[in-house]
Amino acid sequence: MKVTIELFGASRDFSNQDSIEINIENNSTIKDVRDKMLDYLHSNFKGNENFIKIVNSSVFCSKDNIISDNYKITNHEKIAIIPPIGGG
Amino acid sequence: MLHTKVVDIKDKKLSIIDAEKFISSSDFGASIFFSGTVRNQNNNKSVTGITYDSHDALVIKSFEEIYNEADQKLKIKDKAVFIEHAKGFLNLGEISIIIAVACKHRDEAYVLSRYIIEEIKKRSPIWKKEHYQNNETDWLKGNPIQYEKN
Repeated sequence: MKVTIELFGASRDFSNQDSIEINIENNSTIKDVRDKMLDYLHSNFKGNENFIKIVNSSVFCSKDNIISDNYKITNHEKIAIIPPIGGG
Repeated sequence: MLHTKVVDIKDKKLSIIDAEKFISSSDFGASIFFSGTVRNQNNNKSVTGITYDSHDALVIKSFEEIYNEADQKLKIKDKAVFIEHAKGFLNLGEISIIIAVACKHRDEAYVLSRYIIEEIKKRSPIWKKEHYQNNETDWLKGNPIQYEKN
């Protein structure tokens, strides 16, 4: 199934679009998405270490809720990656 | 009484006058206006501007949570709070955030204003990309949101 990951902050450098789409198995969790994103970075950015750090230090959200790594994703669900923050 | 908004800088600029209009009331004897602005130096680099990015829904939710916590943690029941944060590209000196608070007494107003900005720094999903004189840009490192992964 497909999941759309909206990009924010430093993760916007992962693509020239506002989101990326990845294929995952049915019943996948956020942990699986994180792993797929790391695969994506290895394929597209030769494993750029800064990008990998961003993914590993990010949380994910669905709508306006932060979700855990055990959260099960539904088909075509839109989630967002929330890298380390620093506004104000 | 609470007003919150993430303002796209393409639509309008943040305005202290808007904040004053919202919190103004004869119920309150103390008002504090905090504004954050884009400065020209950071980490020994000459900054020419900042692009702010925001997850709007989560940001508004965090503003509301911070406001509600002031009831429980700070015991400040009677208050008016105006919080707006900009998103998009801001030039030097432009306002990125306004926090205006009005309370019955000055002690409460100072505590509340400081509490809100410190919590926003820790919890609100807003990101800064600095622009430098040599035309380079850099996303600032920031702090991970504290959340149980499992």
